[in-house]
Amino acid sequence: MNGEDSVATGRSSAFVVTAKKRKIQQITRKIGESALFLVAATVAIIVIFIFFFVARDAVPFFEIRGFREFFTSSDWYPADDPPRFGAWAIIYGSLMVTAGSALIAVPMGIAAAICLSDVIPFSVRQYVKPVIEMLAAIPSVAFGFFALVILAPLLQNYGGPILMWTWWIIASPFLLLAVIVLSELVSMSIQDDKHRKIAQRMYVSFFGLIALILLFFVGNNLQKIEIMTGTNALNVSIILSFMALPTIVSVSEDALQAVGRDLREGSYALGATRAETIIKIILPAASSGILAAVILGIMRSLGETMVVWMASGNASHIPDPWFNYLESVRTLTATIAGDMGEADQVTGSARFHVLFAMGLLLLVISFISNFISERIVVRQRKILSGQ
Amino acid sequence: MNLGTRKLLDQSFTALGIGSIVIMGMMLLVVLVPILTNGISANVFKGTIEHRRMQYNEFHRGDRDALQREISEAAATRKTAYDMMSTFEAELNQMDEVKQAEYRDKYNQVKDAVKSLLGPKPGDELPELTRFRYGQTRWEKAQERLREVLYEKKWDYSNPDIAAKEYLVSRAESFQGTSLVKLFPYVETNIDRMLLPKWTIYWGFIFDSSIDSHIFGGIWPEIQGTMFLAIGAMLFAFPLGVIAAIYFTEYAREGFFNSLLRSANSTLAGVPSIVFGLFGLAFFINTLKVSESKSVIAGSLTLAIMILPTIIRSAEEAILAVPKTYREASLGLGSTKWNTIVTVILPAALPGILTGGVISLGRAAGETAPIIFTAAVSVGSAIGLADVFNSPTPALSWNIYNLASEHEAASEIRHVQYGMVLALVTIVLLLNLTAIILRARISKKLKG
Repeated sequence: MNGEDSVATGRSSAFVVTAKKRKIQQITRKIGESALFLVAATVAIIVIFIFFFVARDAVPFFEIRGFREFFTSSDWYPADDPPRFGAWAIIYGSLMVTAGSALIAVPMGIAAAICLSDVIPFSVRQYVKPVIEMLAAIPSVAFGFFALVILAPLLQNYGGPILMWTWWIIASPFLLLAVIVLSELVSMSIQDDKHRKIAQRMYVSFFGLIALILLFFVGNNLQKIEIMTGTNALNVSIILSFMALPTIVSVSEDALQAVGRDLREGSYALGATRAETIIKIILPAASSGILAAVILGIMRSLGETMVVWMASGNASHIPDPWFNYLESVRTLTATIAGDMGEADQVTGSARFHVLFAMGLLLLVISFISNFISERIVVRQRKILSGQ
Repeated sequence: MNLGTRKLLDQSFTALGIGSIVIMGMMLLVVLVPILTNGISANVFKGTIEHRRMQYNEFHRGDRDALQREISEAAATRKTAYDMMSTFEAELNQMDEVKQAEYRDKYNQVKDAVKSLLGPKPGDELPELTRFRYGQTRWEKAQERLREVLYEKKWDYSNPDIAAKEYLVSRAESFQGTSLVKLFPYVETNIDRMLLPKWTIYWGFIFDSSIDSHIFGGIWPEIQGTMFLAIGAMLFAFPLGVIAAIYFTEYAREGFFNSLLRSANSTLAGVPSIVFGLFGLAFFINTLKVSESKSVIAGSLTLAIMILPTIIRSAEEAILAVPKTYREASLGLGSTKWNTIVTVILPAALPGILTGGVISLGRAAGETAPIIFTAAVSVGSAIGLADVFNSPTPALSWNIYNLASEHEAASEIRHVQYGMVLALVTIVLLLNLTAIILRARISKKLKG
């Protein structure tokens, strides 16, 4: 860079600076700065290029085939004659695994983030953070391999019992808690202490019985389920949720940390427990930051390729019934990755361009959600800093 | 609500948080432990005489005389089995047509199973494909094959409501009354003398190239390809990212243009990885034509774009973490802004910048989707440094996918797949570990 040299020589003749020298210095500084700016601007140029080049190859598809078939039909037969490019089932598959992973990852991620920021002491947190970082670092293809080679056969062979045990382990503590809290709430109106205790015990046994029946009934029905194929939407959702978790945890932890001590201390001083403080004070204050975290995590699931390609079964159809997570699905990312090999030989055909159309769809969704989450974060920062 | 319930709710809330962290930790273990144990078994396993024979023939490793002795020892035991088979063949030709038709098929199955267990019979013509020239090289695979020799697999379709069940029929029973019946107990009792299993540490798994599309040999071409791609991506992205970070932290003034650049950076960070692959194909290969078709350079450029936002962000953070006093002291001594940046701020921020670089290197090594269309090829030998501009390369991440889902003998070479996954995960996690240690050292230093 020309600018650096002249600045460097300017230094050596230190204190006496003539007007001419100052002018040269100014010019070189300007040149240097604009060179730096140009380098920094490459980021923006790259983004524009990505949009342009993906769109350039996507537009011919819509010119040839129009929009209707792509978004409404679910007949995906790109190799047939005449070919059919109905991508609705594929879009639906993407949405389905994304929703499934969000269903698992969002509650877990927020709970873990709260735990990290408000519950665990700092000395323990130091050891938890690397675990989350390692989970984020494991390559997606390793997760995909795990899903295909270990999880899929497990689900296929022991699907029913696995579902039952998961239900038991997750549901029983929640139901127990619900029973205690419900009986407490119902018997609250009784004034007399002695009577209230008796009523409470009765309610506990009554609600407990209902809970037990529910537990056994659902568990038994789950055990009877036979999973026909292990490479299904459930498998992918589980794996994707663990890939989205690190993002959700770290971004929402930042949001929770940003809330500050004074709100927490005020709440504790008023006699609230930690759970009440978190739920009623901190979560509302950090809600927009957490929403941004959720959006980023969901985007991670939607854009993930290798796991869904290897373990989703790649069957382009809408499951029956529509929420059946035990059937194979096919996603946008897996279709792009899988069909390009065959489409590549006929560059220029609709079959080639339809994959770019899918890429453009993904790109637009990611752009919009990124934009939204960024706006949210900026707004939260403004609110919390009191502007 | 009374105090007891409120406390209970509070505690269960805490338990929920700790529970989800524990589940995350367990998931990490559940993923890593099988990869580790099975991956190591690609390097350390009970190798049979066939493994040593293959090593000698294909890689010229091992002691010739000792091998010869072992081969003749195994051949002596094998000969009895082959003799039994030829006796039966003679018997088969004597039988009447109905019986011959009954036994011919079953006998061919036995013959194939024995062939896949022990390799081609001595004196037979050597098959074209390397994979058929040797018997089972791994002891656990040999035992699976032994079961195929001893039992016939059949499927029970009697209940149409459930999926067909598998059951085994002893072959010794179906050959009852013929001379072949002696073969099965003989093979079962003498299998270890036929194959001479020995614990083997096979470092060649890492440093050999593959033979006959990964049926034998190692994964060096993949490891090398991964290194080329990741290092190439760093060569492009690291300088670019650090300079951009310097601009953002030191020179950029708040304003519309600057915030536009920043949101461009976060948009780039959010683009799905497969879209980078599409962009690489459309831009670097089809438009710029950096190479005829897939090449290492096109893959590296694509990966570089992908990791650029991470590098910029971590470099920015590292530069911002340098205490203000450093900057002020330097400026106070009369040095210019650029000088301050180069001689004071960058050296102080270097460990932090390197941390981000190391993490990005790991990400570039592990990512698959961007290189599918731009650089990866399923079969191939290691390429030289001069070939990076025009030839594609095998890479760990892509070949794990390829071997696990597209290879014609995917379930036969699970150990190779596990070995590859272990290699990839080790590379990525070691890089991350370096980053974690670096960061710990920085925070210690900043604390004083």
